[in-house]
Amino acid sequence: MPRPSLSNVRRKAFWPLAKAGATWFVIFFALLAAGGFMFAWSGLYSVAASRGHWPGFSLILEFGMRSSVRTHSLGIDVPDLDDPALIDRGAGHFQGGCAHCHGAPGRPSSPIVHAMLPEPPDLGATVPTWKAHELFWIVKNGFKYTGMPAWAAQERDDEVWAIVAFLMRLPQVDASQYLEMAGIELRDAIPVRALAQGGPVGTALAACSRCHGLDGGARANGAFPRLDIQSADYLATQLEAYVSGKRQSGIMQPVAAELDATDMRRLADYFAAQRPTGISVPATSQDSALELGRTLATAGMPGLGLPPCLSCHAVDPDSRSPLYPALAGQYASFTAQQLALFKLGKRRGTPASQIMSVIAQRLTQEQINAVSIYFAELPVRPVGDAN
Amino acid sequence: METQHSVLHPGGTDAETIAILSWIMFGGATAIFFGVAGLTLLAYVGGETMRRRIASGKFIFWGGVIFPLVTVTALLVYGLMLTGARVIASSGTALRIQVSGEQWWWRVRYPASGEAAEAVTANEMRIPVGREVEIELSSPDVIHSFWVPSLAGKVDMIPGMVNRIRLRAARPGVYRGQCAEYCGGPHAMMAFYVVALEPAQYEDWLDRQRQPAASPPLQKAGEGVFFSSGCNACHTIRGTRATGMIGPDLTHVGGRLSLAAATLPNTADAFSHWIRDNQFIKPNNRMPPFGILSNGELAALGAYLESLQ
Repeated sequence: MPRPSLSNVRRKAFWPLAKAGATWFVIFFALLAAGGFMFAWSGLYSVAASRGHWPGFSLILEFGMRSSVRTHSLGIDVPDLDDPALIDRGAGHFQGGCAHCHGAPGRPSSPIVHAMLPEPPDLGATVPTWKAHELFWIVKNGFKYTGMPAWAAQERDDEVWAIVAFLMRLPQVDASQYLEMAGIELRDAIPVRALAQGGPVGTALAACSRCHGLDGGARANGAFPRLDIQSADYLATQLEAYVSGKRQSGIMQPVAAELDATDMRRLADYFAAQRPTGISVPATSQDSALELGRTLATAGMPGLGLPPCLSCHAVDPDSRSPLYPALAGQYASFTAQQLALFKLGKRRGTPASQIMSVIAQRLTQEQINAVSIYFAELPVRPVGDAN
Repeated sequence: METQHSVLHPGGTDAETIAILSWIMFGGATAIFFGVAGLTLLAYVGGETMRRRIASGKFIFWGGVIFPLVTVTALLVYGLMLTGARVIASSGTALRIQVSGEQWWWRVRYPASGEAAEAVTANEMRIPVGREVEIELSSPDVIHSFWVPSLAGKVDMIPGMVNRIRLRAARPGVYRGQCAEYCGGPHAMMAFYVVALEPAQYEDWLDRQRQPAASPPLQKAGEGVFFSSGCNACHTIRGTRATGMIGPDLTHVGGRLSLAAATLPNTADAFSHWIRDNQFIKPNNRMPPFGILSNGELAALGAYLESLQ
């Protein structure tokens, strides 16, 4: 009888050993899971924010968070973030949505916030440790197990970029610049005038006016849309659409959610009653764009299925459905941004927007820019003005 | 409304010849089928002599080569003479109508002649009984096909080309037509009517079509809704400031047989329904849905459009 070879012996010995190993493996993890459950059930672990983390545990969490953001934000393309209007738009929302927890230049956050775990960081100090595309991912998605929420309107990447544009500037912004960017300097002047003009909605009006101006004319750089040119019906419909979520905006939805139906109507009436003060738009040197815009607005391009814009968005409010917005005098960047949203199908929740999205889908980016410039330079005709 | 939509019930001379050709082919095919079946039967029951005769080279040559060659060639020549000749020939005396197939409706023009202005309508054409009509077919977007089964054969409408079809209605009646080339989305809802009238009635109708809409409008409120909602951006109502060229001319829309390319009956209610819910009725059609209008505004607008007779 031949002697069994060494390799045969090994092969025969391997399987029983492997089986025993697997059995112990299963038993070990079963015990671990049971132990974990017992620990959680016992309540010995304290969820108290007051207690802080175990020594070193914060470092592990921080490491995990930074790695997660780095990996998940791969492949995000950063647009131009130097546009002052984009930065202002971000600042306007920062004051309403972020500053409460994170504080702002010259405006530290509340002691209540300091007692959170983790404590919302002072962004002036931490922003430089992130890249722009990482900030975009954080603002859009938020952080689990912290107080940091995701962006309320997930479709509106353009708004998230506005926040990022402002955040990138934040470390260099001082207290007085911040007041101006966030529209806070108006505030002291508001209550008296607002109470006189807006009546019972004075407080809400103060919030609107930070971005849209007390007269609804917003800012000359076009960071925010003008409201003074619109009809009360249009403004009220849009506020309702923000509340119901039919119109998506991480900036406007939270603001509108604080209003009841009566307040919305009063605010709409207030802004519609403002006399538009022909805000001077710097004349563009883009003559060819202006010409294309004029053609689109007055004649359309029937062969491409593009009707003349002015058929619905007539300059004269009396020849326009009150549910259609006025475009004459509106800032070009805002009009172009909204047309882009229509084209992408991100603004089609309301009956009126279903009309516009059909047409916007046929527009090219060049046509969108041209027609926005054309309307920005058209003189405003206020509601109720016979001339 | 009784309408005709059948190759087997011709209402005009061209459709009659097509019907005759169809019957000849159907009859011939039946005869040949029974002939072949008979030969098969003979081979089974006819015994050895019959089988040898059927299997002979001479029989196969005459029955299997010469017979099909002659019959198929004769049918081809006959068919080409019947149909091909009618498309190509063009005479100056025929009545001319221009029809443009557009996604997903038909633009119909009766050209101006002398003093008489151009008449534009949609999804419907009226023709005089007994007179030769020459229809110029074109398309601004994709290939469509013009087909009124009870009046004539089908001819494609090809972007960049003008094709012609000539037809003649033998009897008064309403003949239904249908786009016969898949043209995207709601292709199946791209139909139309051809109404054959006695010549005097036809002239009256065309005179009315050439006129602008009644002024002042019979339905003032509805006209207001029409313009403030921007309907004039896409639609023309001759005699008003509505000069849109994207959708159908609505100057006399109230007098037509149907709405939305033979999709809905022509009633004030159907107008309201269409204006608000058109994407539900005819999905992906090029008109936006006007959910912004209240029931009262829709009713006024429907009444106005219905009054455009």
